[in-house]
Amino acid sequence: MRTEELISALAADTLPRQPVGWRMRRAMLVATAISLTAFALFWGPRPDIGAALGSLTMLKTLVPLLLLVLSMAFALALAHPGQRVTGHGAALGAMLALPLAAFMIALAREGQAGLVESLSTRSLVICLLSIPALALPLLVAMLRALSSGASLHPGLSGATAGLVAGSGAAAIYSLYCDKDMMLFVLPAYGTAIAGVVLLGAWLGPRHLRW
Amino acid sequence: MRAANRGDAAAYHRLLTAITPLLRRVVQARGAALGPAGCEDVLQDVLLAIHSKRHTWREDAPLRPWLYAIARHKVVDVFRARGRRVELSIDDFTEALAAQTGPDPTDGRDMEKVLGKLDPRAAEIVRAFGLKGETTAETAARLDMSEGAVRTALHRALKSIARLRERMIE
Repeated sequence: MRTEELISALAADTLPRQPVGWRMRRAMLVATAISLTAFALFWGPRPDIGAALGSLTMLKTLVPLLLLVLSMAFALALAHPGQRVTGHGAALGAMLALPLAAFMIALAREGQAGLVESLSTRSLVICLLSIPALALPLLVAMLRALSSGASLHPGLSGATAGLVAGSGAAAIYSLYCDKDMMLFVLPAYGTAIAGVVLLGAWLGPRHLRW
Repeated sequence: MRAANRGDAAAYHRLLTAITPLLRRVVQARGAALGPAGCEDVLQDVLLAIHSKRHTWREDAPLRPWLYAIARHKVVDVFRARGRRVELSIDDFTEALAAQTGPDPTDGRDMEKVLGKLDPRAAEIVRAFGLKGETTAETAARLDMSEGAVRTALHRALKSIARLRERMIE
């Protein structure tokens, strides 16, 4: 087939395509509904949820939600070639640095013994299993939406999709989790989210190539 | 491009025709070893990529950076994959050499193989627009389909073509 013939065939295909952002929001809504349903069935909110959300403990939910929003914006920018991503990347980096700094301060104050004591609980295993489980529908939704985009860095895009899914799942799981010590929440949630990020980074090059 | 994304086929045709010579020069500069037909195949891959990713250009952004990013990504990707294939297979060399003496330098070879793998009706529709330059109404009348059905069929056929070529490169 000659190139000008191909051009004629391409030009005749005028069906509009949906924007990536629109697909992403729709897929994420469905996936969030699935994760929330699973959460209601198998986990359920902690008994003192009202009091917890009215106190500083709500940071456990709020920080992952902020991460979710920023990483979604970053993932969306990455899916659009020619768009500047440094602004989104810097905002996301700052948002990741804050909890890390908080963890270092808490660790410096209470020492390694405090860390070991905080993490010596059955909740750690539950947390490390629950967040990835709740994240799976979100990760599938993000990768599906992103595959209609045109990421020039599939690995980075996949990892960002993992961060979106992991933070969303952490925000949901935080409604169940009744361990509020910084030295538990930061390392446990952080490790669980990092696991989902790694999974996303591995899946990205396999599903986001074009 | 803005008009094209809103469904103006004529404007889209002009755009693709206008950028093709530039893209061809870029491809030929990088891929002299592939021969003219091989280069044309790469060029057609780039055009298909531009087409299937056209919704990732934002209307408020300049077109050039987007276009170059898509083209660069695709050219690098295709040359990486084909370079490996050419090294591995002697047939490809002889084929490329034979094609070098071919009469029409804008004729790609891969597209025919891909069209052969599509179902006959879909291939017929792609050919109808490409080779014969028919309009939607003419194709619809000839194949006894509604115009909407022709549009959808063409859209799906081009999607499968992009997918099949992707697989062929790998």
